[in-house]
Amino acid sequence: MTSEIEFVREPPAIVVDDVSMVYRVPTTQNGSGAGQGFLRSVRRLVGSGPTVDVRALKGISLVVGKGESVGIIGRNGSGKSTLMKLINGRVPPTSGAIYASSRPTLLGVGAALVPDISGEQNIMLGCLAMGMSKNQIAHAYTSIVELSGLESSIHLPMRTYSSGMGSRLQFAIATAVDPEILLIDEALNTGDDQFKGRTKQRMDELLAKAGCVLLVSHSVGTIKEMCSRVIWVDEGELVMDGDPTEVIKWYGTFIKHLTARDRVAAMKTKRRAMNDLVVPHLISRETGRRSIE
Amino acid sequence: MPAPDDGRSSGVVPTSVDVRTLIRVGERPPFREYLVALWNYRHFVFFDAKASVQSGNSKDRLGSIWLILNPVLNGLTFYLIFGVLLQVNRGVENFIGYLIIGVFLFQMSTRAISTGARAVPSNLKVIQAFNFPRATLLLSVNVREVLASIPVVITMLVLILLFEPVEDITWLWLLVVPALLLQTVFNLGVGLILARVVSRVNDVANVISFAMRIWMYASCVMFPITLFDPYPAVRTVIELNPLYQVLTIVRESVLYGEVPAWESWSILAVWAFGAVAIGMIYFWFAEETYGRDE
Repeated sequence: MTSEIEFVREPPAIVVDDVSMVYRVPTTQNGSGAGQGFLRSVRRLVGSGPTVDVRALKGISLVVGKGESVGIIGRNGSGKSTLMKLINGRVPPTSGAIYASSRPTLLGVGAALVPDISGEQNIMLGCLAMGMSKNQIAHAYTSIVELSGLESSIHLPMRTYSSGMGSRLQFAIATAVDPEILLIDEALNTGDDQFKGRTKQRMDELLAKAGCVLLVSHSVGTIKEMCSRVIWVDEGELVMDGDPTEVIKWYGTFIKHLTARDRVAAMKTKRRAMNDLVVPHLISRETGRRSIE
Repeated sequence: MPAPDDGRSSGVVPTSVDVRTLIRVGERPPFREYLVALWNYRHFVFFDAKASVQSGNSKDRLGSIWLILNPVLNGLTFYLIFGVLLQVNRGVENFIGYLIIGVFLFQMSTRAISTGARAVPSNLKVIQAFNFPRATLLLSVNVREVLASIPVVITMLVLILLFEPVEDITWLWLLVVPALLLQTVFNLGVGLILARVVSRVNDVANVISFAMRIWMYASCVMFPITLFDPYPAVRTVIELNPLYQVLTIVRESVLYGEVPAWESWSILAVWAFGAVAIGMIYFWFAEETYGRDE
């Protein structure tokens, strides 16, 4: 632990500055603020039943450099997907700010495009929506079709596709422009083995082009294979941030204790892991505008 | 930073980061840049419009023929009720032509405005998957309507020529084109305003079809404006209604061989450009919020 200021010289790809996220969600639990009898029926009718606040993220700070591929691991509900959505800008954080060198592209499971038009037209639409020119699309078209592995199904309407086919096509479209920042939420687990091979190859190419990849996965194998840095998130906070082998080892021990229903040992492992955590406290080197939400 | 009471003793390193080169995620671009971006996305607008014209009626056996069949059946219904049963056609020269123009053209606005209002919820997946200026969705809805309106307008003119009394084709028929373009601009403006409202309060979408019906009666689609002569205030309101002016301009030039009054053109133009200017700014103001799951 040092008291010196660390200077990040290279302009980073993603800066997550003390971001918290609180979801207000409806609950079916009784007696949490809902009135009795009539008032309750009215509330149910209007659809604003009792709600609870869920703290999905509790002040997370991160700096990710260009060319880094970061794996994010953690239990279900630990806040991994929320973090991805926040970095993507799909959801605004409750507090804190996220900066990026360009708008990050998020690949998720089940994100379909336009179901009534063919895969071919979806490629056109998707590429145009990403701001590609007609020339660029003509150039990229064959490699998109090849990467999607759809072959002649490309002429069929999207609604006839299986979910795996759909997410393959989406991956192929979204990676057509070499996105500077790519966020992947479990997407790689949907493809078959042949597609996994192609994806791996494409991901390597993307990384080689100094892109930055954030990958959420429950598959430790995928993370080990693809990532140069791993972040362990639990209950909305960072537990570890560092070398893949090291973090995965600690996480493995933690999960082993949990599986053995030994909560005390698991929490002890987590606390010991957190001891070594070094969190950046960001001081923005900026004189000009800093936009206020 | 995490509170110290949860038993952590992690290190905190003050880190200096240069965020000047970075963009803040989820921030809307300045208005001028936004307009430039809209222009750069014109190919997307046209492709999306063409794709949705094709897929619009793909589940119907008669496909795109419904684009024409719809207003024809609608016109027939109104003819039976207002022309035959209620006989409001007294004093209207060429009532069938009057009714056809009213029904066909008003329906174009109804469709453009109601699909435009739902542009954000109905394109949610595309919005969440890609990052593009969201107003392109409204542009695409209206381009789609213009493309779909070509066969509809041709059918309308053919029908007018089929029914007695037959009107002469004059150069005045060309005035249909600028009138419909102004109508489209107006539809776009109203669509932009409603799209933001609906994206925030989805309930409003349920009210739009009722509002459009009231608007239809206030546009003299199937009866003459002379019906309102006893109520001069109502008549003035109707005359300030841009869609009534669209119908008037087209009826005068196609049916009655008269050059439409400049008052009609200016009322329509003021509404059209006013609506699109206000709509564009109003829609842009919430640009970063569209497609968020909340």
